[in-house]
Amino acid sequence: MRRPASLVLLALAVFCAAMAPFLRWYAFPRLAKIPPNQYQETVLEARPATLLNYSTLQAEKVEKITIIQTLKGNVEESRRIERDAGRDVVVWDALAYVTGPDGKMVSQVPERYIFDAHTQAPVHATGETVDGDPVRREGIEFKFPFLTEKRDYQYFDAQTRTAAPIHYKGTRTFRGMEVYYFEQTIPWTKVAMPKAMPVKGITPKVLADSGLTRWYTTKRMFWIEPVTGAPVNGEEIHKEELRNAKALMGRDTLTVFEGHVKMREDYLQSVGELVSANRLSVLMLVSYGPWSLTFLALVLLALSLWLEARSRRAAPAAPAAPVTPPV
Amino acid sequence: MRALVAAAIGLAPVLLFVLLVSLVELPPDGPTSPKPLLTADPGPKK
Repeated sequence: MRRPASLVLLALAVFCAAMAPFLRWYAFPRLAKIPPNQYQETVLEARPATLLNYSTLQAEKVEKITIIQTLKGNVEESRRIERDAGRDVVVWDALAYVTGPDGKMVSQVPERYIFDAHTQAPVHATGETVDGDPVRREGIEFKFPFLTEKRDYQYFDAQTRTAAPIHYKGTRTFRGMEVYYFEQTIPWTKVAMPKAMPVKGITPKVLADSGLTRWYTTKRMFWIEPVTGAPVNGEEIHKEELRNAKALMGRDTLTVFEGHVKMREDYLQSVGELVSANRLSVLMLVSYGPWSLTFLALVLLALSLWLEARSRRAAPAAPAAPVTPPV
Repeated sequence: MRALVAAAIGLAPVLLFVLLVSLVELPPDGPTSPKPLLTADPGPKK
């Protein structure tokens, strides 16, 4: 290598060639993380739905049930847990607040979900709860990991307080976006009474003392954008019953809630826009950046070699110029 | 020899990035949102 220009091009080619894998396999796992101060609300509806009327003790068809789900990153708790855990941690305080057609509370499930900001692996720390009960989560909840794979995952179910497989069922197109479709079915399971009841005077203890038990089944569906792991759509076919109710309500089984819950159109649009923006940032680190750098490295290397070859071809011609005149 | 030096010069900033990413530990950014956990439909999303 003789020409300074080819040496500069070679240095740049090496830089690009080394930066490509650095971005994908070193920077991405360390830099891509869920922000700890995220705030996100989602509204879901079941239209129509079946709901227990506690005054008549009859299950009634209602026009709609609304589920307002809020996720709020608790930065102070993240800092506290990070000090002990030694890694980036996100703490989400979540509330699923269910209202009837009149806007009054039907049920509410507050949760605290603690997880690794990069991998989304659960982090166990004091304060990890569902409806005030301490839990030890396994698996994921609300969101899938970055670069979601075409495989089954363990997904935490807040009602049963356990994780169960959520199955990958194929790749679909949702509003022009390629997504992975996942499905989880929770069979009829006896679950705890919610701490907050919709009628004054009825407490979980009163219901438990009367011998009533609460049962629940659901089919949970998620359409996941695989780069960010964010759900762009979610649905649930949800059923809840009170059993062993004969002595109190004249029938053994009473439907408390039954409905097909879907994300509301305005939230589908806003979540879609948010996911598209985040997808681009992640793709810069895992795909666009590394591939562009690889291409640039090859071009720079080729240019450097070409310049070098040209300078070597031109070099032998120079000494041939001074020819000794014939005697 | 010059080619090796050029390659080393190209690698140096990458190693610097590696060091930077591994050593710099950023604390959680931003404060907790002041917005409450919702107990009513917030209305149509804008």
